[in-house]
Amino acid sequence: MKVVRIWFRKTGAARYISHLDLNRCMSRAMHKANIPLWYTQGFNPHAFLTFALPLPLGIRSERECMDLKLDDDVISREEMISRLNTALPKDLAVFDVTEPVRKPGQIATASYRILLEPENTSADELCSQIRDFFQAPEIVVPKHTKSGIIDFDLKPYLNQTSVSVKGDGVEMETLLPAGSNGNVNPMLILDALKKYLNLEPYADIERTGLYDNTGKIFE
Amino acid sequence: MIDHKIEKLLLKVQKPGRYVGGELNSVIKNKKDIEVRFAFCFPDIYEVGMSHLGMKILYSQLNEVPYVWCERVFAPWADMEEQMRQNHIPLYALESGDSLADFDIIGFTLQYEMSYTNLLNMLDMAGVPLKSSDRRSLSQLVVAGGPCACNPEPLADFVDLFFIGEGEEVDCEVVELYRDFKRKNGTKEDFLAAAAQISGVYVPSLYDVTYKEDGTIDTFQPRGNAPAVIHKRVMMDLDKSYFPDRFVVPYIEIVHDRAVSEVLRGCIRGCRFCQAGFIYRPFREKSIDAIDRQCRDLCENTGYDEISLSSLSTSDYSKINDLLDRLMAWTEDRKTGISLPSLRVDGFSNELMKKIKAIRRSGLTFAPEAGTQRLRDVINKNVTEEELLKTVNTAFGGGWTTIKLYFMIGLPTETLQDVEGIADLAQKVVDAYYNHPNKPRGKSVKVSISASSFVPKPFTPFQWEPQDTIETIHAKQRHLLSSIHSKKIEPSWHEADTSFMEAVFARGDRRLGAVLLEAHRRGMKMDGWQDFFSLQKWLEVFASCGIDPAFYANRKRSFDEHLPWDHIDYGVKKSFLMEECKRAYANKTTPNCREACSACGASCLKGGICVESR
Ligand code: SF4
Repeated sequence: MKVVRIWFRKTGAARYISHLDLNRCMSRAMHKANIPLWYTQGFNPHAFLTFALPLPLGIRSERECMDLKLDDDVISREEMISRLNTALPKDLAVFDVTEPVRKPGQIATASYRILLEPENTSADELCSQIRDFFQAPEIVVPKHTKSGIIDFDLKPYLNQTSVSVKGDGVEMETLLPAGSNGNVNPMLILDALKKYLNLEPYADIERTGLYDNTGKIFE
Repeated sequence: MIDHKIEKLLLKVQKPGRYVGGELNSVIKNKKDIEVRFAFCFPDIYEVGMSHLGMKILYSQLNEVPYVWCERVFAPWADMEEQMRQNHIPLYALESGDSLADFDIIGFTLQYEMSYTNLLNMLDMAGVPLKSSDRRSLSQLVVAGGPCACNPEPLADFVDLFFIGEGEEVDCEVVELYRDFKRKNGTKEDFLAAAAQISGVYVPSLYDVTYKEDGTIDTFQPRGNAPAVIHKRVMMDLDKSYFPDRFVVPYIEIVHDRAVSEVLRGCIRGCRFCQAGFIYRPFREKSIDAIDRQCRDLCENTGYDEISLSSLSTSDYSKINDLLDRLMAWTEDRKTGISLPSLRVDGFSNELMKKIKAIRRSGLTFAPEAGTQRLRDVINKNVTEEELLKTVNTAFGGGWTTIKLYFMIGLPTETLQDVEGIADLAQKVVDAYYNHPNKPRGKSVKVSISASSFVPKPFTPFQWEPQDTIETIHAKQRHLLSSIHSKKIEPSWHEADTSFMEAVFARGDRRLGAVLLEAHRRGMKMDGWQDFFSLQKWLEVFASCGIDPAFYANRKRSFDEHLPWDHIDYGVKKSFLMEECKRAYANKTTPNCREACSACGASCLKGGICVESR
């Protein structure tokens, strides 16, 4: 038994599928690609697919990963990549297979790039509107948690967020807590724009990286 | 290809994965190479449409033709429709993202009557004129096929051309003819006249109907060279008939998310209520070799780990055990399951059970259809109580504890005694469990009974029968409920309201076109969904059109009435259906095609079980 980490992109149409759907899609691709998975023993054997950190529906990513347990290591890295890519739709493209360096539990933050399209204003206006708004003492939005919906103050988490004009749009770069010790979904920023400024610009969100608590990129 | 305008809507709706395409095995072509663009439309949501085998077959087959690009279009759920209409986004095909209006041929598959409003709504969402007569050019040709096309008349105003029978050959012939006309800049009129000469093609605009004072049809006349009778097409050799080696594999979960092999077509049985049992005659089987090969290809190309052996009655496959052995020789290693969706009460042997059990355990479903032997004889469901009890005993002995039984309420000649019989039969199944020496320990039994209301259908011996009124059905449902005395029995039913509308459209004529148009004008759609269906709204529509729905649903027709679908020929003779109807009233059964030929007329198609030696 051997654990490998599969790196893939989730773009285009795949951006709109839920984590549950992604999971099924990947299992099917493993089956189609004849990847020698290691199965649990017992009455209802199943394979282990572990995603480092589920990506919320609607967010793109150029660098996602999941861990697999293989029965043996007869398949080469290249072979694995090419077999998986024939088994997957093009918007879920595998680009690397590595040995896991860090454990998913070590993930502490995630970076996102959010591209906003202003609707009835100019990019400059929208940009300064958002910058001003981020100066507010508190920014409270409803947040789903295990214990129900709570009022959540986003403000303390926005100190690593930049806002700038980019072409016709506004680009936000942000680093937010992620992983099992508290996760902040970047969609909450959009919720806040809607709640406080009554703005609902179209947002293209990409997760650009995962990091541990020392700021090292997740490998 | 998702347009940016569409992407802007996707995060505002539920399950956006329905609207993005891009799935494994979906077909993208270069528009430059394409002469005929075909939009295959399923008038229901993605999850339902993507589960449909016929669509998968024709999608792949049409895309094998180099000059054709066939794409998929589904009805969006109400939230998406609202967004699209607000933002002026036309209904689009999933492959190219192009509007339905840009297509040469817009094809619908008609699986159930309650999808007719969706058909109109889908055209409307792309700004395609609804009525055939308002679409003047050759493009935006609207065609339709599928089981409901056996009575195409309610859609005669909207659909330019219907495919009658099995589509695999005739679709391609029509597309080829279309290409010829497009190349030479032919007119729609000339095209339709030429297409009507192809066997299995029905062009409703080429026929004139007159009505008698009592509302029944007086004359039905073809114009020009249009054939007086349209004969169905049939694929006699299933091994040679096209079958895809890959399916589009959806990202999101759909209703039937698995590989499917069609093991046979038609049915030997001849249950008198069952339209499929008559319109798909004769019974034909695919060979074990072909099924095995197709299953391997499909699993290979999709990654599915479940195969469904589909047909009207899979346990009637003559070599079912050999087939399962052959498949299991490789499926077990590949961790692939096999499911048999349609089992007959008398087709569930110990041997078969062990094989199914080896693969997948779920509830077992059987359809005795009626509660008493007398009524089962009337409908020619040749299954006895003894057989059912034997079968459930086998199942209990094999560890099953959940049995689902399907029944119908409102069958011809039914009395309250027959309704009680449903409860009695379910009770006997419960008792059989408790009397079973080897019943699973420490478990309780569950017998679900699902009672749908009978809908008389064209091309069945009951095509002349009145449907019970909604009040009568409700009274019978109450009676059934009061006849059940065990908590182990769980009854459920389909809404009688929906069955009533189904009965109207199933046996409707051309005058219902006005009703559909008015229903659409009032925003009605998704009528197959309880969230949307409203009998009250339908009754208002009928009233405003001055048409009485009871004329279609609840009226007993005489044998000499000119029925709206009399010009369509499925091989089975009308005189045979009359004989069968009379035998039903005499409580007489008819042997199945394997026991003896009853000369139904389908032997004129020269194939299948009709020509096999018994
Ligand atoms: S002709 Fe005979 S064998 Fe053929 S379908 Fe009819 S009854 Fe069955």
